[in-house]
Amino acid sequence: MLYLSQVLGRPIRDLEGERVATVKDVIVRLGADDHPPVTGLVARYRRRDFFLPRWRITQLNKHGVRLNSDILDLRPFVRRESEVLLARDVLDKQLIDVDGKRVVRVNDVQIIEAAGEYRVTGADVSLQGLWRRLAPPGFVGTKKPVEVLDWADVGYLATDAATVQLKSSSDKLARLHPVEIARLAEALSYHHGSEVVESLDDETAAETLEEMPAESQARILGDMDQERAADILEWMSPDEAADVLGDLPEEKAEELLGLMEHEEQADVAELLPYEDDTAGGLMTTEFVTLPRQLTVGEALARLREMAETPNMIYYLYVVEEEHSWKLCGVIALRSLILADPSMPLEDVMRTDIQSAEPQEPAREVAQRIAEYNLLALPVVDESGDILGIITVDDAMEILLPKDWRQRLPRLLG
Amino acid sequence: MRRGAHGVRRTVARRGRLLALLAILGPGMITANAGNDAGGIATFASVGAEFGYSLLWILIPIAISLGVVQEMCARMGAVTGKGLADLIRERFGVRWTALIMLSLLIANAGVTVSEFVGIAAAAELFGVSRFVAVPLAAILVWWLVAKGSYKKVEKAFLLMSLVFLGYIISAFLSRPAWSAVGIGLVKPTLRLEHAFIFTLVAVIGTTISPYMQVYVQSSVVEKGVTSDNYNATKTDVWVGTIFAILIVFFIIISTAATLHKAGVQIVTAADAARALRPLAGRYAESLFGLGLFGASMLAAGVLPLATAYSISEALGFEKGVSRTFREAPIFLGTFTFLVAVGAAIAVIPNLPLFRVLLVTQVINGLLLPFVLFAILKLVNNRELMGTQVNGPVYNLAAWLTAIIVTALSVLYILMTIFPGSVRL
Repeated sequence: MLYLSQVLGRPIRDLEGERVATVKDVIVRLGADDHPPVTGLVARYRRRDFFLPRWRITQLNKHGVRLNSDILDLRPFVRRESEVLLARDVLDKQLIDVDGKRVVRVNDVQIIEAAGEYRVTGADVSLQGLWRRLAPPGFVGTKKPVEVLDWADVGYLATDAATVQLKSSSDKLARLHPVEIARLAEALSYHHGSEVVESLDDETAAETLEEMPAESQARILGDMDQERAADILEWMSPDEAADVLGDLPEEKAEELLGLMEHEEQADVAELLPYEDDTAGGLMTTEFVTLPRQLTVGEALARLREMAETPNMIYYLYVVEEEHSWKLCGVIALRSLILADPSMPLEDVMRTDIQSAEPQEPAREVAQRIAEYNLLALPVVDESGDILGIITVDDAMEILLPKDWRQRLPRLLG
Repeated sequence: MRRGAHGVRRTVARRGRLLALLAILGPGMITANAGNDAGGIATFASVGAEFGYSLLWILIPIAISLGVVQEMCARMGAVTGKGLADLIRERFGVRWTALIMLSLLIANAGVTVSEFVGIAAAAELFGVSRFVAVPLAAILVWWLVAKGSYKKVEKAFLLMSLVFLGYIISAFLSRPAWSAVGIGLVKPTLRLEHAFIFTLVAVIGTTISPYMQVYVQSSVVEKGVTSDNYNATKTDVWVGTIFAILIVFFIIISTAATLHKAGVQIVTAADAARALRPLAGRYAESLFGLGLFGASMLAAGVLPLATAYSISEALGFEKGVSRTFREAPIFLGTFTFLVAVGAAIAVIPNLPLFRVLLVTQVINGLLLPFVLFAILKLVNNRELMGTQVNGPVYNLAAWLTAIIVTALSVLYILMTIFPGSVRL
């Protein structure tokens, strides 16, 4: 087992044992491998850097490097696709540890030789790793076990080298809950945080963004490729998407909205005119309506058949007739399940409905939701049509102080 | 049964922004004025008492230096999205990081000592023994921060420290010789004496402290400022700088007009409080004590905390007040160490409190060059800053600051080790 810090600056000797250069950096190819292989070295000779391919190296250890020939090919080093330099791009940089769900800094890199290959097996994140580099060589006396993070658990490498993002990283990150991905992305610099979100698939990216502060959402989507941003917006819930668009410059928001698929675009566009701090601004357009003429059994069957069920189905909103929005009652899912399947909905539904007008201040509506212990509150216009619903988690966001909210998981969705 | 699409495209509602309001109390404003803590008040009050109006001129170059240095850090925060400690670690490697963090730790330990000394001095103004007040304050600060409830009491301390704004009124009421003020402001005087250089280093050290650079950069990052919306922060930094220096200006005037005129040297906090008499009469001491207590308590919590954050950040260790000792030993260890050392030194018997306040500011000044050179190297790195590197005028001002501060520090050390060796 070898540490990067033990190799850097060590002499490179040719076949004869003649010292020809020193090790400046170790090149590794990131790819599908959990433990990426060393593909060569950057050697330094007379203040110039040149490239040493792996096949020229017969030995790599604490004492330095041995080459397999006497001839030194002074090819200047050029970075190739998906290659990273361990000293330049990895050492001292931050990375996401998927296993520990944390952001750590790399104090040293562990290299192991196995089956004729040198591979990066782990990142040393312990104090001993730091001490190894600080203390003069040979001084390290501590026998304490070092804390090495398995390279297979590296979800994201926060480096500035543009081409080196780990190909498999998004899969590893996607194993985490979006709340955690959001927290980790926020712990990095905003450039790297955006990169993390961009590396995710559309759905996970949307869920992760929804867990981030509004300003971050707008910044990340605003800086992204427009097509991609529109794709992610489609996956977000309409009310969240409308909030983000409202935070973006008008022109940008129009463009992104224009790029969205027709159905999602319409859902979001409907919410946009409402001011942020009103019931209309708080509501979402995803809810279930059922005509009052149906029986309980028919209603349950219809729920089962629905291809895309909204998150909020604990309340079912009963309307005058098919394709109408005129709200006449509400049924809790619980009552629906417990009721006799042959009964018509109108006999089961409650008609004393708490509702809000779209222009009502968001805070008051949120307080009402808390007071009446509701899971959601319908928003109804002056003609009695249901426009949307306000769910309890959105209401909580208004009522709870900001730092509390981040500790609470989302109740719905 | 999703809500059907009505398909009507409506205009995007714009949501109001509070940017203009936030700029008034942004990171730049808060940081620059954090310099006016116990050590700062002590330093500026002695400048006025000892040298009258004759040192007022240095406020102009100091204002420029402070603004330039703070702006560089704020800009780095906005462009890179990373804290100063992060950048130092990522760009300079472990050894330089260790050196810079060590100087930051020592400088901040010094300032923390000064805050507890400030608490001791304030307590004695109210007739409370410092052997009671300092340990109590240390436990209170530690407990409040560790329990995460510091944010709640922070405002109360901040409010108390506003007492020092009273110096502005006091400066006018004490009827200073405005013509002498004008001359002092434009006519540079320099004396190659130990006491003079000591004061100069202390003034620089307390105004442009290493912790302020670290602090302003991380607040900019935390506020989510990016290179696109950086301009408001730039304004905030400069407005904050000018405001902070204006307060210093009035502290010096009011102490010069009262204490210097009467030939009083500041030995205790009660002497410094006398400069508030034109405003508060016989309540001057209580008023000063209240302000000193508030300002000191505020910084006694924030400073060890900020230091613990920087050090864990640079070394890559777990951080955060919600962690246990087992989870984040370096973070909580640093924080506890600083509070303990600060309190322990402040209760040494027969400690000349006011002198200690000045000495800690000198330590700040002596360690400033390390941090300044690191900042200059980072802010001029094109790979990091892109087009936002320093312009030539900025670089000139910044380099001059770094070189002059270094020269003064070296000069001061030479004069201290070999008294009488440096003569005109």
